[in-house]
Amino acid sequence: MDIVIYGLISGSVILMASIGFSMTLKAEGFINIAHGQMLLVGAYLGLLFTSLGIPFLLALVLVVICGGVLGVFIFQAFFAPIKARGTLALLFTSVGLAYVMYGLVGMFAGKRMLAYDLPPVRAYVIDDTPIMTIYEIAIVAAAILSALGIHLFLSRTWLGKSIRAVADNIDLARIRGFDPRHSSNVVWFVASGLAALAGVFLGVLGSLHLQMGWQQSVIILAATVLGGLGSIYGVMLAAVVLGFGMEIGILFLPTSYRTAIAFAIIIVVLCLKPDGLQSLWGGAKARRF
Amino acid sequence: MEGLLLFAVSLLSLGAIYAILCLALNLEAGGAGLWDLGIVSFFGIGAYTYALLTAPAAEPHQNYLLGLGLSPVVGLAGAAVTGAITALLIGLPTLRLKREYFLITTLAFAEVLRQVFANEDWLTNGVAGIYGLEQPFRDVLTPSTLPYAFLVIILASLAIVYWLVAKVSGDGFGRALKALRENEPLAMTAGIYPFSHYLRVFMLAGALSGVAGAYYVWYNTLVVPGQFSSNVTFFVWTALIIGGLGNNRGALVGGFLFVVMHDALRFIQASSDMALFLSSLRTVMIGAALILILRFRPSGLLPERPARIAVGGR
Amino acid sequence: MLTVRSVLKSFGGVRAVRNVSIEVEAGRIIGLIGTNGAGKTTLFNVVSGLLPADSGTISFLGRDITRSRADRSSALGMVRTFQTPVGFPQMTVMENMLVFDRHDSAGLLAPLLALAPPRPKPATVARAVTVLERFGLAAKRDLWVQDLSAPELKMLEFARAVMADPKIMLLDEPAAGVNPAVLDQLIETIEDLRRQGMTFLIVDHNLKFMCGICDYIYAMADGELIAQGTPGEVVANQAVLDCYIGRRPKAQH
Repeated sequence: MDIVIYGLISGSVILMASIGFSMTLKAEGFINIAHGQMLLVGAYLGLLFTSLGIPFLLALVLVVICGGVLGVFIFQAFFAPIKARGTLALLFTSVGLAYVMYGLVGMFAGKRMLAYDLPPVRAYVIDDTPIMTIYEIAIVAAAILSALGIHLFLSRTWLGKSIRAVADNIDLARIRGFDPRHSSNVVWFVASGLAALAGVFLGVLGSLHLQMGWQQSVIILAATVLGGLGSIYGVMLAAVVLGFGMEIGILFLPTSYRTAIAFAIIIVVLCLKPDGLQSLWGGAKARRF
Repeated sequence: MEGLLLFAVSLLSLGAIYAILCLALNLEAGGAGLWDLGIVSFFGIGAYTYALLTAPAAEPHQNYLLGLGLSPVVGLAGAAVTGAITALLIGLPTLRLKREYFLITTLAFAEVLRQVFANEDWLTNGVAGIYGLEQPFRDVLTPSTLPYAFLVIILASLAIVYWLVAKVSGDGFGRALKALRENEPLAMTAGIYPFSHYLRVFMLAGALSGVAGAYYVWYNTLVVPGQFSSNVTFFVWTALIIGGLGNNRGALVGGFLFVVMHDALRFIQASSDMALFLSSLRTVMIGAALILILRFRPSGLLPERPARIAVGGR
Repeated sequence: MLTVRSVLKSFGGVRAVRNVSIEVEAGRIIGLIGTNGAGKTTLFNVVSGLLPADSGTISFLGRDITRSRADRSSALGMVRTFQTPVGFPQMTVMENMLVFDRHDSAGLLAPLLALAPPRPKPATVARAVTVLERFGLAAKRDLWVQDLSAPELKMLEFARAVMADPKIMLLDEPAAGVNPAVLDQLIETIEDLRRQGMTFLIVDHNLKFMCGICDYIYAMADGELIAQGTPGEVVANQAVLDCYIGRRPKAQH
């Protein structure tokens, strides 16, 4: 039963962290290594806000907004101007940005062991078995809401459809009146905002340290690859599978191999079925690679 | 004065080791367009091979395999061989994948390998690493001349590696690699079979990186899994991009630059808090340098230049 | 020399090439015409080994190359040009030529064990220069291809094909986007080569050019062959005319 709970929580965090990565990958066509650091920034920003006395819920909202704005800024200032230079340049610019973000947080936050100062709560109990605390329930709920929200956004709203159109064929989209720039800003706002939120949740769950960005980058990459590069629905499924997979994996392997499991999954999937889980429903027809 | 000289010798030696790594990366990435994000795998394997071959048998409180106490030359050769074999094993499934997939998979392999180094105690003495490895020639030279001897050896090795790389990236094979980098389908219509070329250059890069790893152990007198994280890969890439991807001299510049970026601050004494602050500041500056170069001088400090082929008598 | 039989190629649900059969005899210039989207380039990609056929057979010089990749068919003596000439952008014109020298050594051991960086054979370089001169590119031989103009790129496509000293040349839209003077030069070169025994399979939608140079023409539409014959026969064919409504080809002999 523990596995189900931990898997669910784990999967929820991975989902929120990875959806954004997958969105920018699909929309812009490159791997943004700095995405993982957005979790780090979000976690520490949340800490900053709560330590200033801002109530937790409000802090959450602020973090999402700040994360989103930061994401848009990064895109406009660093990625958009060199789009024509190709994916390698974009990839390594994102590496440079990851270093800058990581370094800045390190400079300001220092080495002290920090943690979220939240009132301790008891887990809800069903039939004498503790299930989840209110925070953990909130995390799962947030994940479900974001997944649903993104789904509705992409399939129902005009803006969402334009994003899908732009991702599939930028020239065709332009002809039909969609403006690539607007689509991009919204994508980056949502992607970064969600990542920042995921960072706060990770912090709440107890893993708040400077390396969290790099650690999560790996897992995000694994989820994205597993779901199929550029498939947003694929990554949602993959996040859940990965969450459970890692928890189950540590039953058989030493806990220190937890991230190795994620990596091993990447290797196996890419070598056997490069399109990932999305090939289950025939995705990957309009890949940009 | 003596201290300053030793410091410079030390930095130069380390710079040469990283320059070998940069040359290896340039060979596969600059020359053939392989976006290898797992080069630290070969570096690490080479290092551990060297350690396991040349270290004395494990003491009771340690636990690692082999420990044959062989000569450094055997260690170096062994490192090259295992580097190449690792490249073969990783390359076979991954070199057929497209660029982005190859990039991710090589990164994944590197991380799994690092965790194997850290967790498989019976093999590598785990997280504690292997310490106290004697520097070669200890019995022949005085301790004060050892650093200079090492510098001479490593610089000579660097020269040999440069010579090897220059030969391979020249005519025939080198040109075929560039063709694959520039336009793979077109290269195929010219009779170049991608996979066999990629595999060979990958193995060579693996061997060279392994040798760099062996020298790294020589320099540090220890191996620890933490030395072989993907940070090394990203730093070597950064150094090469800033130095000039596709240009062997750019790789040299990159290698020495790497040392300035990465290790020069090692030698500054500072309090623990200050150390973290400086280290973070260093990271910010490296990141900024990378962003700026890619924005304003994307081909690097020493860009790749057109190869002029002499036409006899004209 | 080259026999294509009942080749089928689909992408997802779209059947780009449907049951197409083509015969190219040695020393002849065979043409393949059709409007955009008729499947000509796909067929080319299949024949030259860049795409696998779903079914059908392709044999070249008596050898079955249906399952062969592009590098194998090129080793047998097939070379092709591309519709949008890209070449190898960050390599010099001379390097672009040398890559297509079929005897270009590509082993790793030789350079590794050699004493000095290997150099290309002077005879090969000289031959490359001669071919480049024919196409007016000799002066630019040390420039990177990405710095060439569009017409120069087109010339280079052709020069590379000649350099490869092939048994058959597959030309993909050689007349596309080319001004009349250059086109005349191209036609002259093709005729020159034919006199020396070269075989051609040419794809283009410029009817005038095709009728002027081909011995035999196949016409495609929607992935299928709709007509075949001498230029005169094909041009008079109703199905072909229907495809080209509005475009009246000049009377050819």
